[in-house]
Amino acid sequence: MLELQHIKKIFNPGEITQMSLFEDFSLTVSDNEFLSIVGSNGSGKTSILNIICGSIPIESGGVYIGGKDITNLPEHKRYRRIGRVYQNPAQGTCPNLTVLENMSLADNKGKSFNLTSGINRKRTEFYRMELSQLGLGLEDKMDLKVGSLSGGQRQAMALLMTTLTPIDFLILDEHTAALDPKTAEIIMNLTNKIVIEKHITTMMVTHNLRYAVDYGNRIVMMHKGGIVLDKSGDKKKDLTIQELLGLFNQISIECGN
Amino acid sequence: MTTFIDLCIGTLIQGMIYALLAYGIFITYKILDFPDLTVDGSFPLGAAVTAILINKGINPFLTLPIAMVFGAIAGLCTGLIHVRLKVRDLLAGIITMTALFSINLQIAGSNMNIINKDNIFDLIPMGSLSISYRKLIITVTLTILIKIALDLYFKTKNGLLLRGVGDNANLVTTLAIDNGKIKIRGLIISNALVALAGCMVCQESQSYSSTMGTGQMVFGLTAVIIGITIFKHFSFIKGTTAAVCGSIIYKLCIQFAMQMGLEANLLKILTAALLLVILVFGTFGKKKRGALNA
Amino acid sequence: MKKIISLTIALILTLTMAVSFAGCNKNSVPVIGIAQYGEHASLDNCREGFLQGLKDAGLVEGKDYSIDYQNAGFDDSISIQIAQSFAAKNVALMCGIATPSATTCFAAAEDKNIPVVFSAITDPVLANLDSGNVTGTSDKLPISAQLELIRNMQPDAKVIGIIYTTSEQNSVSAIAEYQSVAGNYGFTIEALGITAQSEVTQAVDTMISKGVDCLSNLTDNTVVGVLAGILEKTNQAGIPVYGSEIEQVKLGCVAAAGIDYYQLGIQTGAIAAKILKGEAKASEIPYETISEYGIYINTPSANNLGITVTSDIAAKAVEQG
Repeated sequence: MLELQHIKKIFNPGEITQMSLFEDFSLTVSDNEFLSIVGSNGSGKTSILNIICGSIPIESGGVYIGGKDITNLPEHKRYRRIGRVYQNPAQGTCPNLTVLENMSLADNKGKSFNLTSGINRKRTEFYRMELSQLGLGLEDKMDLKVGSLSGGQRQAMALLMTTLTPIDFLILDEHTAALDPKTAEIIMNLTNKIVIEKHITTMMVTHNLRYAVDYGNRIVMMHKGGIVLDKSGDKKKDLTIQELLGLFNQISIECGN
Repeated sequence: MTTFIDLCIGTLIQGMIYALLAYGIFITYKILDFPDLTVDGSFPLGAAVTAILINKGINPFLTLPIAMVFGAIAGLCTGLIHVRLKVRDLLAGIITMTALFSINLQIAGSNMNIINKDNIFDLIPMGSLSISYRKLIITVTLTILIKIALDLYFKTKNGLLLRGVGDNANLVTTLAIDNGKIKIRGLIISNALVALAGCMVCQESQSYSSTMGTGQMVFGLTAVIIGITIFKHFSFIKGTTAAVCGSIIYKLCIQFAMQMGLEANLLKILTAALLLVILVFGTFGKKKRGALNA
Repeated sequence: MKKIISLTIALILTLTMAVSFAGCNKNSVPVIGIAQYGEHASLDNCREGFLQGLKDAGLVEGKDYSIDYQNAGFDDSISIQIAQSFAAKNVALMCGIATPSATTCFAAAEDKNIPVVFSAITDPVLANLDSGNVTGTSDKLPISAQLELIRNMQPDAKVIGIIYTTSEQNSVSAIAEYQSVAGNYGFTIEALGITAQSEVTQAVDTMISKGVDCLSNLTDNTVVGVLAGILEKTNQAGIPVYGSEIEQVKLGCVAAAGIDYYQLGIQTGAIAAKILKGEAKASEIPYETISEYGIYINTPSANNLGITVTSDIAAKAVEQG
């Protein structure tokens, strides 16, 4: 379970460009929830993710995972049980390492990076199986440098790598936004499959209202650092795109988007 | 004919010793993507430590690991300054290099030679083989041993992590590893090798000078770039092999220029021209892009 | 296409290199390899003197010897490669001008037992070049003579300022000697160390503010390199500068009791000639210091600073002004 309690966040404090994003923001995500966050530009969607992961500091407030206070934990320590997929497919993999090397690296998360062989021969078959399930032909490209793959293939790999080792929390940061519609569809299906199979609590920020409606069991709409809509379970199922779009347009017009 | 062979052997010896320096720069510049100027200071550091220890009667073989330890400490300093004090990579290296200038002077003064003392080339028993062949065999052996050690290291999980940090430091963070710690590790290994190169140069030329580090970063960079560019299309050639070849080729070019009667003053412009030619023909200079071929 | 071009160029280069390496030393005339550490007035004078010294000893260039002159441009790795190529070419004799070049020459020559003759080394014992198949000439500064000269020209002076480079061993030893004998002439030495040419002008300012009566130069390459800048400031402040050799006096120093590097070179050439003729081995010849030092005066500079050159000095001195 993830809790954001009374978060206060000000960008560029003390300078001309000072902007207060969150005054007293709180959000709780329960176990096994698949939460979609939508909202206008600048509403704070991505900032929530960054605050959870520790990439940006906060003025006051607390972040708790499973009851444990991680507010003061450095970024890399938070990622022990958190996985993250970024919008830019290039950020989720190492371009100059091969597919096999990337998978080996991700597979070793949480274990010691000692002087034993980097690539575990016994696991190679397992990686091949996992990659073949993506349906992108990556299982035949294991010795190819990741930099020569397409954006969609890299993003699929990033998703797979993030969930290769057990994590409590998956963060998806507009991870289909940079892909073409067909590839985005593939990645979304994959995401859903992995989340359901591995029972990972997930938080997805997206611009695609349809995805927000079709996938997951909870939806939150943000505007100017506050929550304007929060539906989960059955209430979410009844929500239609029309209603969502209407509310979205309303807040967008408000802040001039 | 023997002149030709002797010249080749001499150049090869230089190429092999300086290949150790090229290894170090290969690690920081190519793998970690960190332009490390510490080497202009850690190179003479290795030589200074070697000169003073040999003059004090310490076994010349011991100076090799000791020089490496000193180099490692220099790399550690740069790493800490960069990671903990958040100083930019180039500046962190400059700070350490500048400090090392004074430190080297304190260790062994401005010049020191070890002419009347034994060095490792004197002490390794090789029968009646002439000194040039002895030096050749020893330097080639050392360079190849280190190359094998590095290649094996990069195949391990630890080595893979180092390569990962240079490629995508963010990804390493999401693997719950402090990428700063890994960068420091790379700097330590690199500068240990550079100091080892300094140690070998001191033993081979039997002298140390506090200014011998000037321009070594440029040399190392040129050697690495030459090697990588030339062997770009042969993907089975490892980066370490390319570094050794680059070092040898560069030393050959210098020797060639001297044979042709090029004035020493013009040697630096030759280096610049060489680097430019290699870069243009190798398109190595283009910025690394994460290829997003849709 | 690019690949073909680059491969062709590489091939041509390799062939040319091989040919150039092989084509050396076709002649049977003994080769003298001169390794000079860098281009510098004193070192250049030394080399020219060396060549003259060989001629003075009766040797004919082209018949008895040929010269292979290499300049290391103050770069230590190039200095090493020069020495090694001399050894590979089996030169008959190596001449190393300045300590770094002499040291690398000796290291490279040891195995083949090629004689090494050095010049312009201040302390050959400290440089470990006093035994083995090596000999040469030392350019140790005649410090007592310099102090005597200053005392004669400025009877009331008390403090002599000296700027030196901390990383030049010769300078550091010279400072130590200055400080030990200055008292005998009633002087105290104000020594200021610098690490780079860019610091020299500020060092001069410091000296002037400390009220030194005059400056004295060592054969310190870094400081001497900016002599013009130094003189501009000292002339303005009315402080005379004493040089350490002719070139500096020509440039505007009031006087110097110093070495003529050309003469030093001639002495060195004479030693080399002896070895080439087979009259003696390098190991048998002890190194020589320059016995004669010269006094050089720049009268116009001296007069501008209010120093009158007494007749007995003028008689001993060689005018350079």
